[in-house]
Amino acid sequence: MALSTPGTRADLAPQGLAARWRHLPREARDTLFLLAVIAWTVLPHLAHLPVWCGLLTAGVLLWRARLAVRNGPLPSRWWLVAVLAVAAALTLWSFKTVLGKEPGVTLVAVLMALKTLELRARRDAFVVFFLGFFLVLTNFLFSQTLLVAAAMLVSVWGLLTALVLAHMPVGQPSLRQAGGLALRTALLGAPVMVLLFMLFPRIGPLWGVPQDAGGRTGLSSTMRMGTMAEIALDDAIAMRVKFIDPAPPPDSLYFRGPVLSRFDGTTWGLGYTAYAPPRSEIRPASPALRYEVTLEPLRLPVLPLLEATVALTPAEGWPARRSEDLVWATDKPVTERLRLTATAHTRYAHGPTRRDISLREAVYLPPGYNPRTLEWARQLGEHPRLANADAPALAAAVLQHIRSGGYTYTLSPGVYGEANPRDSIDEFWLDRREGFCEHYAAAFVVIMRALGVPARVITGYQGADPLPVDGYYVVRQSSAHAWAEYWVEGRGWVRADPTAAVAPDRISRSTRLTPAPGFVAGAIANVNPELLASLRRAWEALDNRWNQWVLNYSRGQQLDLLKSMGYQSPSWQDVALLLISLLSALALAGAAWAWWDRHRQDPWQRQAREWRLQLRRLGLQAQVHESPAALAAQVEARYGAAGQALAAQLRLLQSQRYGRTPLERPSSPWLRALRGEVRALRRAHGRATR
Amino acid sequence: MSSSTRAWPAAASALNPAAVLRRRFRAWWQARLPRTDTLLLTQRNVYILPTRAGLMFGLTLMVLLVASINYQLNLGYVLTFLLAGSGIVSMHLTHNTLRGLTLHLRPPVAVFAGTPALLDVTLTSGGRARFGIGMRVESAGHAAPAWTDVPEGGQASTQVSFVPGTRGRHEVPALQVETRFPLGLFRAWAVWRPAAQVLVYPRLEQPAAPLPPAHPMPGGPTARRSTEGGEVEGIRAYRRGDPMKLVVWKKAARNLEAGGELVSRDTSASVQQQLWLDWQLCAGLAPEDRLSRLATWVLAAERAGVEHGLRLPGVEIAPAHGDVQRRHCLESLALWH
Repeated sequence: MALSTPGTRADLAPQGLAARWRHLPREARDTLFLLAVIAWTVLPHLAHLPVWCGLLTAGVLLWRARLAVRNGPLPSRWWLVAVLAVAAALTLWSFKTVLGKEPGVTLVAVLMALKTLELRARRDAFVVFFLGFFLVLTNFLFSQTLLVAAAMLVSVWGLLTALVLAHMPVGQPSLRQAGGLALRTALLGAPVMVLLFMLFPRIGPLWGVPQDAGGRTGLSSTMRMGTMAEIALDDAIAMRVKFIDPAPPPDSLYFRGPVLSRFDGTTWGLGYTAYAPPRSEIRPASPALRYEVTLEPLRLPVLPLLEATVALTPAEGWPARRSEDLVWATDKPVTERLRLTATAHTRYAHGPTRRDISLREAVYLPPGYNPRTLEWARQLGEHPRLANADAPALAAAVLQHIRSGGYTYTLSPGVYGEANPRDSIDEFWLDRREGFCEHYAAAFVVIMRALGVPARVITGYQGADPLPVDGYYVVRQSSAHAWAEYWVEGRGWVRADPTAAVAPDRISRSTRLTPAPGFVAGAIANVNPELLASLRRAWEALDNRWNQWVLNYSRGQQLDLLKSMGYQSPSWQDVALLLISLLSALALAGAAWAWWDRHRQDPWQRQAREWRLQLRRLGLQAQVHESPAALAAQVEARYGAAGQALAAQLRLLQSQRYGRTPLERPSSPWLRALRGEVRALRRAHGRATR
Repeated sequence: MSSSTRAWPAAASALNPAAVLRRRFRAWWQARLPRTDTLLLTQRNVYILPTRAGLMFGLTLMVLLVASINYQLNLGYVLTFLLAGSGIVSMHLTHNTLRGLTLHLRPPVAVFAGTPALLDVTLTSGGRARFGIGMRVESAGHAAPAWTDVPEGGQASTQVSFVPGTRGRHEVPALQVETRFPLGLFRAWAVWRPAAQVLVYPRLEQPAAPLPPAHPMPGGPTARRSTEGGEVEGIRAYRRGDPMKLVVWKKAARNLEAGGELVSRDTSASVQQQLWLDWQLCAGLAPEDRLSRLATWVLAAERAGVEHGLRLPGVEIAPAHGDVQRRHCLESLALWH
């Protein structure tokens, strides 16, 4: 015996998990399934949640799985409270707060795992399901790609399956059966989903959106040294652009955001021209370029459009106007995705041709800041070659200095002005000489102003992903940029991009680091590079459709849909009305169907009602419980030989319905024959009694 | 006999005015339902309301919707509306699970008061398979229903029980059939008043009093009463003073298990014994207790194989034995007044 036991174990081992799974008791199996669904839902979060959260969640889920397999007792509530307290403390330690997106998601994930340790009553199970749905939503806060959507669809399916399983209390229904029923429910609900998705009025946030809503703010209306290093690493999409006319070269893709002309020594801010109506006209120097742009919600009262956009089809609900700064501004921060069509001239001139009061702000330098840079500028201006130079020559000299002065372009230059915030530009320009667009633009503008030339900082986006997908150029937050403009007598404002001087690649083509191909992609590339390329193209096209049709579906598209349905000038109230009337129509159709279904009967029952009615005309009781054969006997007893035919007819029915080879459906000739017999009998009987 | 054992009808929370009102309403409502042994569930008699979980689900949807609006998450909208669509569909599916179902109650078997009466219900599905159908006695409050699945185009049977407290002919209590399948967000139910009646015999006496002595049948062969050495021909109920070796242990064990009593070998089977179970023999007991004792005796006499007759005021049943006699006696006891 002692020897055979290890032997049997070894024999059992290869059968493995499948056999064990099949022999699990139902409750253990259902619990393990639910745990797997939860683990799958939490999985995408591991990338952006703290490590301890992943470990804790995995630990709790494994603990619960072990209890389920061993059928052990659940831990006492004190354990849960203790673990929850630890999780809250760790959250506080990781994020310094428990409010906000990431701490919230961390807590929900831990709470969800802990709740599985408390599955005592039906109510507990429901809490787990509903927390699960919420956890699915939190995944979308971080990413809404096709992949995440597919993974979460699986999660929802799993949760619905678990819900169905919980309501099949008899026996041991298979997961496949429950999964099929859940899928059927979801598919039947899909039309309602599509209808609601298309027509539920897209309204702005109901209240102030938390500051961390996606970390999307690539631009801001103020600029301090160092603030842009963060967004330069953010790969989220800022906008997608499709050119109706031939696409311009990448180095002319400047998308103009807030113009910062006010400088207080450390911070750049909007000048008063940002609020002024346009006084000077745009003087185009290139043909009109029509394009279509889908802007992500940037939460700024500004539409970063191509320079220089002269005309715009306004988006519903977001009237925009052009300021003297050439910036398209809206009344309030844009909180929804907008699709616009616009016309631009990539080469143009604008601004006053003569020096006027609007330039006063653009030459102002607060005294006492960056004295060494001002001194450097003074020396440059006194250089004999530049003694009587105009603004373009001065700008060229400064740019030349950037090229030859040992400057480098880096995304992580460190913090400037730590020792003395009053000379942060001194530190950059004369000492460390490394930085990115914002540093170069700010230093350039300060030097130009020191030389007496009006200048200002422009923020926005520059460049796009090199290859268009489905005709759309993607502009990412990492393309956020800052450049400069200086004023030239007789010409107006002229763009200068000092970053182009130090890192020409940054401007002429958008070099974004591409990650090394994964194992599978590498293998495919080795076998068939063409296939990989076409696969990638297909994937990107699919992804773009996804972006255009699902993620970018917003109020504009809703209104377009209504327009294509024949509405003249639809508003969101029309959308809501249409939705309500369609839903009411659906509900009415459902009610009508139910009414019709009520009158729908088993055909045999319908037939039975009919022939019983016939027999009752003969004065027979024909009770519901009496079989045709029993009634045949009654008929014979009553009418004797005259009733033979009718009795035979009834016996025929008995065999049709209950015989060895019953009919599928009642036969209508039989009913006609029966009616004939009854009529004949009534006639004969009536004559006899008369 | 204490009132606490009378689980039916449930008399809980008799003082709570809301409960009283609810009971009144229920009684009025049920009085409107026609009694029938076969009930087809249709649009007219199936009710549906969201469960507490359904309301919670609605709340979850609201939270998801607000989150989607505030964070402008189109996939959040997709999720919310997918769940909303599934919820609406689940309402129809829940209702569909009951609609079109045919319930049929088999004629219930008579029971003794205080023991559960089993109601055997057959559920017939016209077309599709149906899952998670629960059946229970409507007045049983929050008792767990008996769950059953009905296969596609087939039948299933389920049993519910209720404990009648008094003897007599009782109407079967209203039954409730319910389901929460598939998602548990809605609960559909129907109330059914079967027409069948269940006959309830008097409560059995616990512990059983010994049988009264039998008398030789007048005109029968002479009694040859002997406890030893006689032909062993049958068994009878144990009487005080029977020697241990006369006890038929195997049968006694089975009897005891079934709530019966000890049995001894009857060595004088050649004597035709006759036993009159007489109302008068139970003098000193309340009428109901007398009936209980008589019913217990009927069973004991039947087990012992003794011919027994029954005398009640106004009723006299001639001695005989067998199932027919037993049933005849018990029915008389059940319906005597």
